[in-house]
Amino acid sequence: MPRIQDIGAFNAVRESGLGKLVPAIPRITVGMGTCGRGNGAEEVYHALNEAIQRGGLDVLLSGVGCFGACFQEPLVGVRLPGSPLVILRRVQANDAARILESVSTAVMPPDLIYAKIEEWDHVTGFVRYGQGYPEIAQWNEIPFFKEQKKIVLRNCGLINPSDIEEYIAVGGYQALYKVLIDARPDAVIEQIKAARLRGRGGAGFLTGNKWDFLAKAKGGSKYIICNADEGDPGAYMNRNEIEGDPHALLEGMIIGAYVMGASEGIIYVRAEYPLAVRRLHRAIEQAREYGLLGTNILDRGFNFNIELVQGAGAFVCGEETALIASLEGFPGRPHPRPPYPAEKGLWGRPTNINNVETWYNVAPIVTRGPGWFAETGSVKSPGTKVFSLVGKVQNTGLVEMPLGTPLKSFIYDIGEGAVAGRRVKAVQTGGPSGGCIPVEMLDTPVDYESLAQIGSIMGSGGMVVMDEDNCMVDVARYFVEFTHSESCGKCVPCRVGLNKALRILNAITEGAGTAEHLNLLDELGRMIRECSLCALGQSAPNPVLTTIRHFREEYEDHIVAHRCSAGDCQELALSP
Amino acid sequence: MQSAAHEVAHEALDASEKLLIDQAIAKHMDRPGALLGILEAVQSANTHKFLSMGSLRYIARETGVPPARIYSAATFYALFNLDPQGDNVICVCRGTACHTRGSRDLLEKLCLDLGLHGHEVSESSEADKLALTTPDRRFTIRTVACFGQCALAPVVEVNHHILSHVNERTLQREVKALTQGRK
Repeated sequence: MPRIQDIGAFNAVRESGLGKLVPAIPRITVGMGTCGRGNGAEEVYHALNEAIQRGGLDVLLSGVGCFGACFQEPLVGVRLPGSPLVILRRVQANDAARILESVSTAVMPPDLIYAKIEEWDHVTGFVRYGQGYPEIAQWNEIPFFKEQKKIVLRNCGLINPSDIEEYIAVGGYQALYKVLIDARPDAVIEQIKAARLRGRGGAGFLTGNKWDFLAKAKGGSKYIICNADEGDPGAYMNRNEIEGDPHALLEGMIIGAYVMGASEGIIYVRAEYPLAVRRLHRAIEQAREYGLLGTNILDRGFNFNIELVQGAGAFVCGEETALIASLEGFPGRPHPRPPYPAEKGLWGRPTNINNVETWYNVAPIVTRGPGWFAETGSVKSPGTKVFSLVGKVQNTGLVEMPLGTPLKSFIYDIGEGAVAGRRVKAVQTGGPSGGCIPVEMLDTPVDYESLAQIGSIMGSGGMVVMDEDNCMVDVARYFVEFTHSESCGKCVPCRVGLNKALRILNAITEGAGTAEHLNLLDELGRMIRECSLCALGQSAPNPVLTTIRHFREEYEDHIVAHRCSAGDCQELALSP
Repeated sequence: MQSAAHEVAHEALDASEKLLIDQAIAKHMDRPGALLGILEAVQSANTHKFLSMGSLRYIARETGVPPARIYSAATFYALFNLDPQGDNVICVCRGTACHTRGSRDLLEKLCLDLGLHGHEVSESSEADKLALTTPDRRFTIRTVACFGQCALAPVVEVNHHILSHVNERTLQREVKALTQGRK
């Protein structure tokens, strides 16, 4: 494919992509994200492929990313020309023959039907699949999807992530083209500011302001970095975003680089996500081939490169200064701020770091405008956020919700409540930096400020539901064990404080706790929070402090009655 | 640190190992994340998936980075191994979703079944960053902070293949298959 150098070539690629996305022949897609693969999607794909080859059928088979409903994987999409896209769920390899039969009869296997999609708003584009199948429910009538609004996940599960043409078909790289033609970087920064987009990595800093700092930073080369070192246990939003739609990340970064005046970009991605790494490699390669990355992008004289760097299993590298140290070839230990990366970042150069999901919001804001973006979400936190809803809940998966939605809608409307016969006790948000929110407080809206008020944080978007079988003391112990072993050891409050906190929590879960322990733990937690150098230490006590605050009686039960009613603490388990 | 005899065994690098390291250095040098990239490349090319002292010294010499800094990076990041890994690597996810769905019990049972003393392990303070290899080097049991497979919890990775919704029985069956398959 020649490089795209004018709008004619761009539109030709778009047409070619549409020919694959909504072809004139039947198209079958298999959700091939890590979650799909873990449930047998590869076997399904091979079975379908083999049957298509054997029968010499005129069917286009494609792998796509995750559509979010991980609990229904493997998901298979079947679309006949002019008809809606029908999504089949929990498909197994031996269903292949039946699915191909349905392609010829146009009658879908009833037991596999999940939902249909007649048209889809890709935000940057719109696709009409067709109408029909009145007996099949629309995708957004299904409880799991009903209240979701897909902006970040606009393409996930629908387009083939390994084919740049399908991304361009749904309006991809159009925002970049517009930005390069307009050549008004300051206007784009104003748009991001007006949209009040906030960093999706957890801290919630206004992205537009951050961009402004780097744009105004003086002199020489500047760097932009995508933080894809998603380390929170219980969270996998970034993994699925990258696996399902890698080009949206690249487009966000290229726009960002242009408006901030950076010539080099780096994506720092977890090595634990091999599929995401592969898809990114491929996406970068393709973007170069099509002239969207590298030198003279879209023939507009702009040069920008992206390097992929794999982390090596250190949670603390999600902290921006630690990430920079890691890129420079040091152990990932944080530095005090200021100086902020915007003044002195990678190799002392001005640097901007944003989370994966923040970059995904860039093209939609440029395309549809800040006014449109601010229609969703709350006044202080516009837009949506992707959460991984997991744990003891019926429906698990990735959900994208407007910010400000109350917690209970996540758990009862989307998640459809606890698993059979159990009651939800608490929700853990924000991973090891967050806290446990008791069921009585589920009216709390999910936004940066409201969650901080009750001692938790929104964080990167992990949401783990817990029921009566989960001991809250054990949960606190679990997170402190994690942060303790992930502490880089640089500052004393975090290194020593978490060690002491872990010992106390171990004692309590083993039945050797004392009343004094509880006060000590509380005091210790506040000290670690106040005195630690970086966000890891400053937030590590949150799980302890929130469980003491909201579940004090469970601690007392362990200490006074030597009882763990959930049965998690083995030394205290009641004999039946 | 390792015993002297052990270290000497790691020392000697043959020409092909040196060539591989030279290539990794040439590919990554002077780029962001160079050291991580070099160490990752060298480790993944190694049959037993580890970084020998000899290779660390060689990397230091060729890159001009002080050996202390290379050793410090190699020990800081959980992904790097300084000891040979087993033929089969079983990695138990210790993420929150897996934890709430019983991954600790799975880990302990697995260690017990393979004769690795599970209890001693879980009491040590580094319990969630574990890497144990059986004396015959057939199996290495590791943990990972989170695979990001939370909707399928609990998750165990056996030789880079993800198993979802694992229970003790399925895990035992898997280990048995590996044990027999090798004989």
